[in-house]
Amino acid sequence: LTRLGEGDELALPITEVIRNQKAVETLFIEMVKAAEQEILLIFPTANSFLREERLGIIHLLRYGAIERSIDIKILTPTDGEVQKIIQDIVEETRKLSKKNFHIRSVGVTYEETTVSTVTIIIVDKKTSLAIEKIDDSKENFIDAIGLATYSNSKPTVSSYVSIFEILWNQTKLYEELRNHDKMQQEFINIAAHELRTPAQSILGYAELAKSDPQYMEKDGQSFLEVIYRNAFRIHKLTKDILDVTRIEGHTLNLDKIRFNLNDLIKSLVYDKQPKLVADSSNNKVEVVYRLLEDREVGDVENNVDTVFVQADRDRIAQVISNLLDNAFKFTHQGLVSIGVSIKENKQGQEGENQNEVVVSIEDSGSGIDPEIFPRLFTKFSSKSFSGTGLGLYISKSIIEAHGGKIWAKNNNEQNKPGATFSFTLPLAAT
Amino acid sequence: MMTSHEKRILIVDDDPDIANLYKLSLEREGFVVDAFNDPLLVLSNYRVGIYDLLLIDIKMPQMNGFELYHKLRNLGDNSKVCFITAFEEFNKQFRELFPDLKEKACFLRKPIELHYLNRVVKSELGYN
Repeated sequence: LTRLGEGDELALPITEVIRNQKAVETLFIEMVKAAEQEILLIFPTANSFLREERLGIIHLLRYGAIERSIDIKILTPTDGEVQKIIQDIVEETRKLSKKNFHIRSVGVTYEETTVSTVTIIIVDKKTSLAIEKIDDSKENFIDAIGLATYSNSKPTVSSYVSIFEILWNQTKLYEELRNHDKMQQEFINIAAHELRTPAQSILGYAELAKSDPQYMEKDGQSFLEVIYRNAFRIHKLTKDILDVTRIEGHTLNLDKIRFNLNDLIKSLVYDKQPKLVADSSNNKVEVVYRLLEDREVGDVENNVDTVFVQADRDRIAQVISNLLDNAFKFTHQGLVSIGVSIKENKQGQEGENQNEVVVSIEDSGSGIDPEIFPRLFTKFSSKSFSGTGLGLYISKSIIEAHGGKIWAKNNNEQNKPGATFSFTLPLAAT
Repeated sequence: MMTSHEKRILIVDDDPDIANLYKLSLEREGFVVDAFNDPLLVLSNYRVGIYDLLLIDIKMPQMNGFELYHKLRNLGDNSKVCFITAFEEFNKQFRELFPDLKEKACFLRKPIELHYLNRVVKSELGYN
């Protein structure tokens, strides 16, 4: 049996089979203790994890990670008991802000035939020990194991390292896939809810109206308004869901052209005016368009300033329109102002123009709900009754696809009410 | 006409259009109906024992329908209940919260046709 420790580097490389179970146990513990940088471990079953826990190996690993800063990576199948032990260690290392203890687990025990039936430990990428598992029902480490193969020979140890890395990465992919499935399911569940809710009003009020002519005489107009409002909600949601599907399927294609952002904003503000006047709840809101710092521009012909961007005009219009609609929705009285400014950045490494335009939409409304704030730009995070909760998620995706950034803040300075949403776009090369 | 005017129904749905829709439909059948959009308002005004049936939406802000019903039961209320939701998945949470009610629970899925809603409500209240 090879002695571990000093002078190990000079010893001739060996690969040997160990038949004595007690010797295997001793060597296993010695290897864990001798580790200086890294321990990689694969367990074949949840039971083998628990046996080695009883043997004190998991405790040694925890000690190694916390006290000696050794990188530990463990691959193991889990059951409830294993999960609990893992959870405790993960919690403990997180509290100590240690980032060197990693466990990846598959929820169920591997099928005997698909993955290894050996426990593999690789220390510092220099030594390896593969221990056969003979009887998984045994409580004791020694009773459960068969032959073991020890090696400090580079080709053998590297082979185990690659086996470990392949399984490690595969487990990560598996976890990502499982998360993705879960999120997909959640999306479908919420989308179904959001589509069926307005459908209820459309079908229901139409059914009422149809069932009795008296309803039409008395409440016809208000029924039609409800039906129209809810039909519009479905229409908007359908559009938004299609956009989300495009974003997540990476098929949101941008049709970039060079255009003057000022012209676009002016026409959007112009378009919103009549709707604002028509909507009685908003008739106390004034819209101001501030062009380049403090110059106020009310008249289209007065404007000579140009801010050229290379972007998808319709998509940028969608973002600005969404931000303006949000501002109007939460501002019943006061001011919504949209401003444009230029942020000069240092020249990029390739010498290209890295200057950006910053568009800010400031309102004096109710501000952003603190409960929503942390997930403002995520899917379905609306507290508003009429919102789909997808608008800001889509806006963020569109802006980021252009290489820009989007953010929000509450205007807390001097007790100013309301919120400001801003985004950047790279300026087009002149 | 049945003697349904004796019976009193509470509707809780955060969507005002839907709460009003169910109210109109059930009133037309002769029931006395109170409709609320805010579950917290229901709790603060609640009078135990005056309703024969509660028709409660599940997904609502501040407090979901299960939580609301749980609190009403803790007040000592024994009214019959129908939950109505546009969600796909709701059974698991319900079974966890009300293990004793799992056989008897009445669940309705939105969108529901009004004539069907009326029929279910009547059958829950013991009409033929």
